[in-house]
Amino acid sequence: MLTLKLAIRNLLRNTRRTVLTMALIGSSLTALILVDALMLGMLDILVNSITKNLVGEAQIHRVGFRDNLDVDLYLSETEKIIETLDQDPTIAAYSERVLAGGILSSSYNVATGLMYGINAVSEGQVTQLPDAIIEGQYLTGKSGEILIGHELADLLEVSLGDRLVITLSEADTSELAQALFRVSGIFKFGIKGVDKGVVFTNLDQARGVIGLTNEQSHEFALRFTDRALATQPGTAVYQNLNTSELETLNWLQLNRPIASIIEMSKFASLIIGSILFILAGLGVINSMFMSIYERIYEFGVIKALGTRPARLAGLIMTEALLIALISCVAGLILGYLLGSYAAEYGVPMGDYQVSGIAIDSRVLTRLEPYQFIQFPIYVTFLTLVAAIYPALFAAKIVPTEALQRSL
Amino acid sequence: MQRMTLVRGLLISSLLLTTPIIADNNLDNKPDVIQIIDDMEALYRGDSSKAAITMIVETPQYQREMKMTSSAIGDEQSFIRVLSPKKDRGIATLKLDDEMWNYFPKINKVIKVPPSMMMGSWMGSDFTNDDLVKQTMLTEDYDLTLNETETEYTVTLVPKELTVTVWGKIEYVVNRAAMVPLEQNFYDDRGDLIRTLTFSELKQFGNVRLPSRLEMTPLNKAGHKTTVIYDELIFEPDDVDPAVFTLRNLKSRF
Amino acid sequence: MNLLVKLAFRNIFRQRRRSLLTALSIGGGYLLCTLSFSLIEGSYNNLVNLFTLTKTGHVQIHKDDYLDRPKLHKAIDDYADIGKQLNNMQQVKSFTYRIFAPALAYSDEGNHPAQVIGIDLTRERATTLIADKVASGQYINNKADSDGYFQAMIGIGVAESLEVGLGDDLILISQGADGSIANDIFRVGAIIGSRDSGDGANVYLPLNAAQTFLALEGRVHEIVLTLDNYDEAEAFAATLRSTISNLTFSNLTISPWQEVEVDFYKSMESDKRGNAVALVIILFIVFIGVLNTVLMSVLERTREFGVLKAIGSRPIIILSLVTIETTLLATLSVVAALFLTVPIIYWLTHAGFELSEPIDVGGIMFSAYRGEMSWYVFGVPVLLLIFFAFIISIPPGIRAARILPSQAMSSF
Repeated sequence: MLTLKLAIRNLLRNTRRTVLTMALIGSSLTALILVDALMLGMLDILVNSITKNLVGEAQIHRVGFRDNLDVDLYLSETEKIIETLDQDPTIAAYSERVLAGGILSSSYNVATGLMYGINAVSEGQVTQLPDAIIEGQYLTGKSGEILIGHELADLLEVSLGDRLVITLSEADTSELAQALFRVSGIFKFGIKGVDKGVVFTNLDQARGVIGLTNEQSHEFALRFTDRALATQPGTAVYQNLNTSELETLNWLQLNRPIASIIEMSKFASLIIGSILFILAGLGVINSMFMSIYERIYEFGVIKALGTRPARLAGLIMTEALLIALISCVAGLILGYLLGSYAAEYGVPMGDYQVSGIAIDSRVLTRLEPYQFIQFPIYVTFLTLVAAIYPALFAAKIVPTEALQRSL
Repeated sequence: MQRMTLVRGLLISSLLLTTPIIADNNLDNKPDVIQIIDDMEALYRGDSSKAAITMIVETPQYQREMKMTSSAIGDEQSFIRVLSPKKDRGIATLKLDDEMWNYFPKINKVIKVPPSMMMGSWMGSDFTNDDLVKQTMLTEDYDLTLNETETEYTVTLVPKELTVTVWGKIEYVVNRAAMVPLEQNFYDDRGDLIRTLTFSELKQFGNVRLPSRLEMTPLNKAGHKTTVIYDELIFEPDDVDPAVFTLRNLKSRF
Repeated sequence: MNLLVKLAFRNIFRQRRRSLLTALSIGGGYLLCTLSFSLIEGSYNNLVNLFTLTKTGHVQIHKDDYLDRPKLHKAIDDYADIGKQLNNMQQVKSFTYRIFAPALAYSDEGNHPAQVIGIDLTRERATTLIADKVASGQYINNKADSDGYFQAMIGIGVAESLEVGLGDDLILISQGADGSIANDIFRVGAIIGSRDSGDGANVYLPLNAAQTFLALEGRVHEIVLTLDNYDEAEAFAATLRSTISNLTFSNLTISPWQEVEVDFYKSMESDKRGNAVALVIILFIVFIGVLNTVLMSVLERTREFGVLKAIGSRPIIILSLVTIETTLLATLSVVAALFLTVPIIYWLTHAGFELSEPIDVGGIMFSAYRGEMSWYVFGVPVLLLIFFAFIISIPPGIRAARILPSQAMSSF
């Protein structure tokens, strides 16, 4: 108790230095929190864009389908898959799709494209397609509706209401089939490949054109109740729906280049975090030493009077601990305030794009509990570690030297 | 190969409007449009033909003239061989129902044309897949109205709600006196003329009199035009050998 | 002045421990600043270099709007003349020509859509890293073999879909620029790229063979050139535009890589911006660290300064002393730090942090997170830190200068 009292008094004796040291430690903590929150925010945007755009958080296909999008490699007996998905509490929503490549022709021009047949409602629960519509409206389930990318609309010189004929080869027979659509909506995803080469129609109609039955489709896009489940291999759907014929892959596996970027960015944060820590540590050591020098005469006196070295070291450590605790509190408060502000209003980053995915220009930081629990613990621990050398030094002071006050 | 199929399409559409049997020049009796077209379609079902054709493709970048021969039985079987230019001499195409093969003498290979490749402007001509995959029956899938002048019939075909076509309206203009087509005009939904097919240079081919020169001009692309000229045309020839429509024939000498 | 400097030196070495700690703080700050700069610049530069050297080059020349709406007939006619001009331009390190056409590739197994790319084999290899992308077989030459067939390098997608391997025949069907059907047989000489590299459907042909195949004799679609550094691209493109003005009747469009690959560029810029924010925060922390240190070491010596003033030193002398000492110490720290920093950055640049799984960037494997060595990386932190130290020393220096000797000597 005495130690504590002494520690407090010592700290208050030179408020300026104490405050400065606290400022250093505190702002290091704040910086750590903010940088981490910023990185999380950026990661969020990236992941959101990917998982909400067309990929979803996971997808089920027939093995081999993804290589060439061969229309003949369709899923059969999909009612079994649907049953499994319905009974799985971790699946929040799923969207069944058919895909077929073909020729799109308007009155004015011809282009190749990929037709997605989707269920309007369930697709809206899994991806952001309804939000990407810039003209016209989203699918309502009526026959003849088609959504077309804005770049494709330019190429085919069509606008809302214009005719679009799709010609493709049917599944299994490869016979030519044609269908007439009228442009009901134009979308903009910001992904060049999609805006220039993809159209969306209603699932039933698309099935009819391709020649598939109600029990057949090409793909299920999934959304989990918690996105983190998507990348955990133990999640139910990966156990149940990965067979010799079916493959279920998560969004990281479906987007290899993005996965790499994410890994790189995590790596970068790690390095930056370490750098910050080390810097803070140096500052603490420095600060502790300064405080010892200034009191070296005192320590000399105390030791001469018989105080044991361990006691002295303990005093230094206690001071360090107090500084750490108070700094952390201050750092947490500041971090919370700034972080919340940034989480609300965002950090302007200009035109942000990753791998062709256009993103909102403001990054909203994300605050997480671990930032407020683990980071302060690290910082406190670091402060204590940094204080060890100065503490040992203090413990080893030889009274006769100290009393000479030669610094 | 697209060239062959579009010729088929042209042949069909031109046949639709020839009326060697129903030459009704009686101006008092309004001709029954549906009856005419029905008769025409019935007429060409089961037709066989042989032709020598010149096709000229004009684009702002080049002008290309090709000469070819063709044989056809009905809608299902056709065979086309390119005679000129020299670079392409010997290239041949065989179509049986929905399948198509090409032969390229330079590499001495027969390749099967994937269904998706049977459309798209391979030869740079101005005909589109709509002309090739003519799965629509004009009388059933379109609403027909007739306009008459002293010299011309104009049949306006408006596709019914569910008819699969990129056109909002098609106009056939027929020469009343000769009962031969003059023009086909293709409009978009807004009523803008997007392309036009003109028929000219009437020639006598055996006991049939047809325009020998067809010109397709897209109006939304400057400098493009495709011209097809029938140098020779024989309907129901005696000497169409079934062996013509075989893969082996693609490679044979000629 | 000289006296002050001498005094400053002596003071620094007199109080070894304090100076050492201050030096450590500043030196440490320098090391970490440099590390951050190096990593951030390095990863950005590495990525951009990799990308531009495998795909786009630094500047591209096309006809009209070929880049936006590629059409077979939008080809450059007088490319040899342009090549001569480029040869004479010192900034151009290397250049090459390319032709593109969509085609259908056939084998006995069936057909697969392919992108035919005709390349000037020698030039391409000197300009981009294409030779490194050869996965099996050998980089081809432009000689026809005894059967009269030219060689082709094909992507994995085509190879697997058509089940063709080295030495097999590959039939290509496309449309010529004169409207004819282009048809020919090629022999597979190499397989290029990997599953993720994005060139699965590419078929590379020797330029002359491709020109004949597509009836594009004497013409190319794209001229690609590289400079010494990718960030010269925009400026050079502007220079080119005015230099090749005598050929403007040909309607050429000159695009730096930032325009050719807008998506990639924007991603990289955003990334850079994100890193810049992190960098600012790091600098801020360094600043505070240095502030802390310098402030304290000056304040600690209040008593000393009191004595100095008591014996008659003018305030300005005290201020100068403080400032010079601090700046000098900072300089010494940084110089000393260099001994440690340079080897570390060197290691970082050449070995770097190994990634657990290599990243595929356009067919080239990015296996380590590398830094960069440059004047920028070493120089800027030097200036920054010395500047920080200098600035920070002024307020406490002023305070020290103004202090009353009596006050000073009674405090500690």
